[in-house]
Amino acid sequence: MKTKRLFAGILGLSILMASFTACSGQQPANSAASEKGAASAASADDSAEKITLTFWNNYTNDSNHVMSGIIDKWNADHPNIHIEANSTENNAYKVKIKTAMSANNAPDIIYTWAGGFTQPFVEAGKILPLDEYLNDGTKDKMLSGALTNITYDGKVYGLTYNQQAGALYVNDELFKQNNVKVPTTFDELLTAVKAFKKAGLVPMAVGEKDKWPGMWYYDMIALREGGSQLCLDALNKKVSFDQPAFVNAAQKLEELVDAGAFAEDVLSQTRDESVAQFSQGKIPMYFGGNFDAQVIDQSLEGKVSAVKFPTISDGDGVDTEYLGGGADALCVNANTEHKDEAVQAVKYLAENFSSSMYLTGAGLPEWNYDSIDESKIDPLSKQIMEDIVQGSTGSVPAWDLYLTGNDAQTHQDLVQSLFGKQITPEDFGKQTQSKINKAA
Amino acid sequence: MERLLRDKKAIFLFTFPTFLLFTVIVVLPIFFSIHYSTLEWDGFSQGTFVGLANYKSLFVNNTDGFLQSIINSLILALISVGIQLPISLLLALIIARGVRGENFFRTVYFIPVIISTVVIGQLWMKIYNSDYGMLNTVLRAAGLDQYTKPWLADTHTALAAVFIAMLWQYIGYHMLLMYAGAKSISPDIYEAARIDGASEAQMALHVTIPLMKPILCVCVIFAVTGSFKAFDLIYVMTGGGPLHSTEVPTTLMYTTIFSRYQYGYGSAMAIFIIAECLIFTLVIQKLFHQNAEG
Repeated sequence: MKTKRLFAGILGLSILMASFTACSGQQPANSAASEKGAASAASADDSAEKITLTFWNNYTNDSNHVMSGIIDKWNADHPNIHIEANSTENNAYKVKIKTAMSANNAPDIIYTWAGGFTQPFVEAGKILPLDEYLNDGTKDKMLSGALTNITYDGKVYGLTYNQQAGALYVNDELFKQNNVKVPTTFDELLTAVKAFKKAGLVPMAVGEKDKWPGMWYYDMIALREGGSQLCLDALNKKVSFDQPAFVNAAQKLEELVDAGAFAEDVLSQTRDESVAQFSQGKIPMYFGGNFDAQVIDQSLEGKVSAVKFPTISDGDGVDTEYLGGGADALCVNANTEHKDEAVQAVKYLAENFSSSMYLTGAGLPEWNYDSIDESKIDPLSKQIMEDIVQGSTGSVPAWDLYLTGNDAQTHQDLVQSLFGKQITPEDFGKQTQSKINKAA
Repeated sequence: MERLLRDKKAIFLFTFPTFLLFTVIVVLPIFFSIHYSTLEWDGFSQGTFVGLANYKSLFVNNTDGFLQSIINSLILALISVGIQLPISLLLALIIARGVRGENFFRTVYFIPVIISTVVIGQLWMKIYNSDYGMLNTVLRAAGLDQYTKPWLADTHTALAAVFIAMLWQYIGYHMLLMYAGAKSISPDIYEAARIDGASEAQMALHVTIPLMKPILCVCVIFAVTGSFKAFDLIYVMTGGGPLHSTEVPTTLMYTTIFSRYQYGYGSAMAIFIIAECLIFTLVIQKLFHQNAEG
């Protein structure tokens, strides 16, 4: 009897706890819903009443203060439309927003990644199409192609403001000192690697303890081998990963590893350590994201250029395609109570985020940047923008933006196995297919 | 005092707050985890009940190397008991016999236990660094270039490299426990032994160690369960890498839950670790008791 009661007590308590924890996850959504309700009730009485727009994002890193500054400015300028921002760490955000979307608990303004990530939301009718709002000149203010990745079935579903682009950073000083030509083809890259190796330098930087920096290398080589369309098709499960292009890309990465392109302790180096070594001028080449530009520029001012990744002679990719383009975007919830205000806010935020991030070297713009003082722009970011992004004919985001959670981790693990020479390129293709792309 | 212990109300009054705290913070979460471990759940959405499927995939057709991670943690437990504890015992016995600077040595050996594990991790990562690390520098200086290695990046050496750091860190901890045990033995017994003509070694072997049995039992339990639970230093130094060569159940559990969003499956790992620790604690206690009686 006694034990039964004790057990019931424990059970009761655990249910109580469970409901607590369950609630805490959704709290922002609930409070948003109640605020929305309150706001709409109020606006029926008095149209000048203050409304609140909820805005979820992943701004938890260093660019956060730029964003919050712009949001604060909006709030100061628009006393009646208050933006309430809520930031969550990047990976957790992906899961959180998906959950909220499926439960119809999403905020009014949604931060998202253009491309594959947003597609299911659009198909489920959860995102507001923006076409009718954009004919006021907004489209003219944006760069051509800026809306491509956020257009589904001919309709625009969001405004982009920042994009990623991979670039091969080369230390010109080291190239000159060692009489090496900056590579434009993969064979030249191998030659350069061997030349630097001979000179006693570690030719290329990569922090493979963190796994994703190595993945950037592989994804880039795969783009040169297969071209952007094939990569996107495979990521969308339309074609198999177990085919020559992806196997050859693994083969090419192995060739780099075999040629001694990377440090011998590459598997225990973090990305920060590898970038630090590049920034100290110890390593001549590094394939990384535009988000590394700021740090590199600060320490090696003027000695580094950002160039296109070399092409592969028998590959289907061309040098006008780049790894990146997986743009940050803002969308409006289709169920929001305040469509007009939310769209107005999204326009304001996207435009200002775009220019501020470009200026500080934190991102590449999606909006016209003619009005920005050229001399103040981070020079490497400018180079990436002008030489790699502008005039491009295609792009593929780093694969972990396309694949989520478990699949992204599996892909990174497989690439790391290539760095550690634990699987053959053939097995790499087979395993990628069987573990990630079962449906194809 | 005796009257106080006979007063049931007082006992209840004094132990209940701790009991409550313990229940809410330790016992209940274990029950939650047991519940989670029966779900297929990403941590955010609604989970689906899958029964014991998660436990099954830990052992049957396992693809994430859980079995290897258990083997790794067993190796750690083995060398903990076989190498770390003897060293601790030796140090404890020597210091407890009153060498000069007893306090100084006791403090020095205990320092690694006090320092944050992250700092210890950084320290050893610098020692193992293939470029400027102390280990390789010493090897080069001694003309042993062929033996230099990227210790933490090589799948053959990473596990040993991490384990050495872990053993090193906790030698002082076990030493202090044993030192306290050795110090609490009455000097009369030593005097009697000395009158009987026992040497220092004989005294240590036949007087000190047998009398320290209870504390040795505690040390073995701590060393074994500590090895099964080990996480922080491995996480800092290698994160389970390179290529999963230093993975132990806890690091695997961490990536499973927080990178792969498999809360249910990860919880099954957590429950396994708890069960493993409990079983080994009971077995070790049994063994020591048998030994004491026999």
